[in-house]
Amino acid sequence: MTDASLPLAQHDLKVGLRAPETVMRLARMGSAHPTRLSFLRVLLRRVRDEGWRFDRPVWDVDAKGVGRAVYRAIGPARTYSLVAFSHDLPDHMRSDRVIATAWDATFALFDGTPTTQDLDRLQRNVPLQEAGRVSARELSLSRANRSVRLWAHVVDSLAAGHQPEMSEIDAVGYLMRTTAVYGSGKFGAADRREIAERPELHGPFQAEMLSVWLTRQFTVDIVEHLAAAKGGERAVRLSDQIKRRLGVGNSTGLGMAPFLVRHPMLMNNWMAMRETALARVRALADATPDAVAALHLAYTAACDNADSWRSEHPIQIAKLQDLRRDLARIGERLGSFPDEEALPWDALWRWGERQLTLEGQEMLFALLIEPHGAVVDNLAQGMSADEHVAFTLDGAMKVGTLQAIFRDRYGWALSIDFQPAEAQARFWYVSEEKLEPRLGERASEEGAELEQPLCIARLAKELYADLSAWPATETVAAFLLRHPEHRYMARRAQIAADHPYAEVQDNLIAKDMLPIDLMRCKLAFFGASHFDPRSDKWVRISLFQGAPYPLDMQGKGRP
Amino acid sequence: MTTEPNDPTASGSSFADAPTFLVLSRNEIESLSTKAARGAGMSWGQAEEAGFAAGWLHEHGVDGSAALLAQLESAAGKPWHDVCPIVGPRHWRQQGEGPLCPIAVGAALSDFVDLPEGSLSQGLKIADVSRPVLLVPFLSRIAERHGQRIALTFPGGAVGVDGTGAITGDLGCFTGLSAATLTLELLEGAADAESRGPAGCESPVLSRLNDLAMKTTVPPSDRSRADAGAGTSDND
Repeated sequence: MTDASLPLAQHDLKVGLRAPETVMRLARMGSAHPTRLSFLRVLLRRVRDEGWRFDRPVWDVDAKGVGRAVYRAIGPARTYSLVAFSHDLPDHMRSDRVIATAWDATFALFDGTPTTQDLDRLQRNVPLQEAGRVSARELSLSRANRSVRLWAHVVDSLAAGHQPEMSEIDAVGYLMRTTAVYGSGKFGAADRREIAERPELHGPFQAEMLSVWLTRQFTVDIVEHLAAAKGGERAVRLSDQIKRRLGVGNSTGLGMAPFLVRHPMLMNNWMAMRETALARVRALADATPDAVAALHLAYTAACDNADSWRSEHPIQIAKLQDLRRDLARIGERLGSFPDEEALPWDALWRWGERQLTLEGQEMLFALLIEPHGAVVDNLAQGMSADEHVAFTLDGAMKVGTLQAIFRDRYGWALSIDFQPAEAQARFWYVSEEKLEPRLGERASEEGAELEQPLCIARLAKELYADLSAWPATETVAAFLLRHPEHRYMARRAQIAADHPYAEVQDNLIAKDMLPIDLMRCKLAFFGASHFDPRSDKWVRISLFQGAPYPLDMQGKGRP
Repeated sequence: MTTEPNDPTASGSSFADAPTFLVLSRNEIESLSTKAARGAGMSWGQAEEAGFAAGWLHEHGVDGSAALLAQLESAAGKPWHDVCPIVGPRHWRQQGEGPLCPIAVGAALSDFVDLPEGSLSQGLKIADVSRPVLLVPFLSRIAERHGQRIALTFPGGAVGVDGTGAITGDLGCFTGLSAATLTLELLEGAADAESRGPAGCESPVLSRLNDLAMKTTVPPSDRSRADAGAGTSDND
C-alpha cells in the first residue's frame, strides 16, 4: 500500500491522477457523490474501529417536547457530549435562513461530560445561537428545524400504535434538518488549532459530523417521546427499518459556497486524496471475487439511493435523469466485469469516461473505490491542511518564477475575456443586514465596489498584467511593496504552485455560474446524499441516511 | 459584526452589548480584524496580515485589537506611499512625513526575510513605525525561520521575541508606544519569558472595529433579500 503521506508520488502507480483541468470544473464538482472518503464515513469507521460507546445521561424533556438532553460519545482518549435543547416553536417562526431567531431544537458539542453548571450556562446561550456566546469548552454550535409534514405524520402514527408510511418517510428522508452547524472558533467556541492535534478531530469537520450524527439520534428519540406522550400505552417505537432510512436533513444557502474558494490548500488536499484513491484503484491488477461482490453491493445501494432521491428543481431533475440512465448502463457493464483487461478497474473507469455523463462518471468514481477500503482509507489522513504555514509569502521568489506559475496554473483564467458583460455579470458581497454572503448582479444592483475577493480568475488576470511589466529578475517582495493590491492573489498563486487542485477552474462571477455546484462538491465531501436544490443558491440534503445510530452501535455496526 | 445592538439575526458575533472585557477565540479576532482593516482601506492581502497580527497578539497575551484599531483610525485615508517603507540594507525609511504602517512594515519584513534588504545580521534600523507592537507577530515568524531570537530596541527600552512567541523585556512600555524608530537585531540564546494567557478584548474597541468591518458590507435591497433564501417555504 502506498503511504498516505506521499499521496502524489506516482512512481508506484501505473495510472496517473486526473488533471486539475478535468477535475476542477464546476460542472463536474456539481456532480459529485459521497464516497468512502467522505467525512462522515471517516467518523463512522473510527468509532467502529476504536469501539466508541454512547449513552444518554440526561433526558429532561416534558410532554410538549420542551427540555434538554445530553448524548455522550466515549472514545478511547476523550469524551464528547452533544447538549440538546428542545423547544416548542410556533410554525410562523420556522425559517431555515440565517435570519431566523428561534428553532425547534438547538445544540452544542461539549468537550467532555458537562456538569449541571455547564448545562445551565449553555441553556442561557445555545438557544440564542448567534446572539449567545459559547466557550472554548464547546466545539460546535448548531440548530435544527422539524420537517413539519413528516413530523406530524410520524408522531401521529406512532401514537396510534402503527408505523408511519414508508412512502412518506422516503418523500422527506429526515425528521429534522440542521440550518447551521458552526465550528472552529465561531461565537467563542474552541479554535480549530486548539483541537486539530487530537487524532479523532484531525480530519476535516469531524467535530461537526459527530454533532450531526448525535443529532440524528436526538431526532428519533424526541419523536418517540412525543408519540408516547400523546398515545400513552398504545404508542409504539419506530421500526429499525424506518429508522435506518431517516437521516438528518440540512438546509444551506450561499454561505457555504465561498468556503472552498477561501481555503485553496484545504480544497487541494481533499481533491488530491480523492484523485489518488481513484488512481490507486485503477492501478490494481486484480478484481478479486470479494471486491466484485462489494462492487455489486455498492451498485445496488446506489440504485436504491437514486430511486429515493427526489427533487423538483429543473436542473436537478435533468441530472437525476442522467444519473438513473447511467446507472442502468453501469449495471449492464458490470455484467461482464471483470473482463480480460490487464487493469480491470482502469478498463471499467475508461469505459465510463467514454460512455457516461458527468453524473454517471462521478457515481462510478464512488462505486470504484467502495470495495477498496484497504487501499484507499488511509488517504483520509491527508485531507487536513496546515493553512498557517502557507500563509507566509515567499518574497525571495523571482518575478519570472511567479509569472511561470501563472502560465502553468492559471492559463484557464488568463484566457477568459472579461470585456463582455456576461463575463463579470455578478459579484459576491456580504450583506450589511444579515452578514451573509450573497451574489449580486453587477449591471443592476448597488455595491459592486464592495466585491469580495472570490473573483479569482479576474484577480489572477489583473496581477499577471501588472507582473508582465516587471523584469523577471526582480523579487516578489519588491513587486508587492509596489503593488499591495496583489498580495491576496500572489499568496494564492504561491499555494497553487505546489497544490494543483487549489483553484476552481471556472469564472466564479460569470452570468451562467451556478453556486449550487460549489455547494454540492463540499456537501459530497461531507457525505451528503439526496442533494435537492430549492433555487440556484439554496439546497437541502440528507446526512447519515442508512447509517447506524450511536445508541445502537456501541462498538459494533457497519459504516 | 453589526451596527445594531443585540441583533439576534445576524450571522456574526454581536459585541455592542458585550461585557466590557471579553475573551474572543483567535478565529473571531482574526476575522473581525481582517474585515476592519479592509473596511479601513487596506488591500485584502494586507488586511489578512492585519488579522494575523491582531489574532497572534491576543493569543500571546497582548491586546492587539486595541493596537490595530488605533493604527487603523490614525492612518485612515492616508495613501499607501505615505505609510509603506523604502527598503534598503540596514535601514528602512519613510517616503513622506508621517509614520510607517506596522502592517506594511511587518509584511515587508516577512517578504524580505531572505533578501539583503531584510537582513538582520548587522542590525536593521526602521524609521518611525506607528503602533510598533503590531510588528511583534511578524518578528516571531522571522525568528522561527532563523531559529534565533530577535531583539527590538526602541527609545527607552527593548523587547525580545522568539519563534515560539515568547516575549521578553519592556512589553508594557512598548505596547503603549504610538510611534517609534526601531532597531532590530538577531540574538543568541534562549529567552526566560514569563508565560501569558490569551488577552481579552475591550468592548468599545470591538465595537469600533465592528464599525470599520461594516464598511465592507452592502446595504440591503428588496431584491437581495428575496434572492437569498429558498424559492419555497421552509414549513414543509
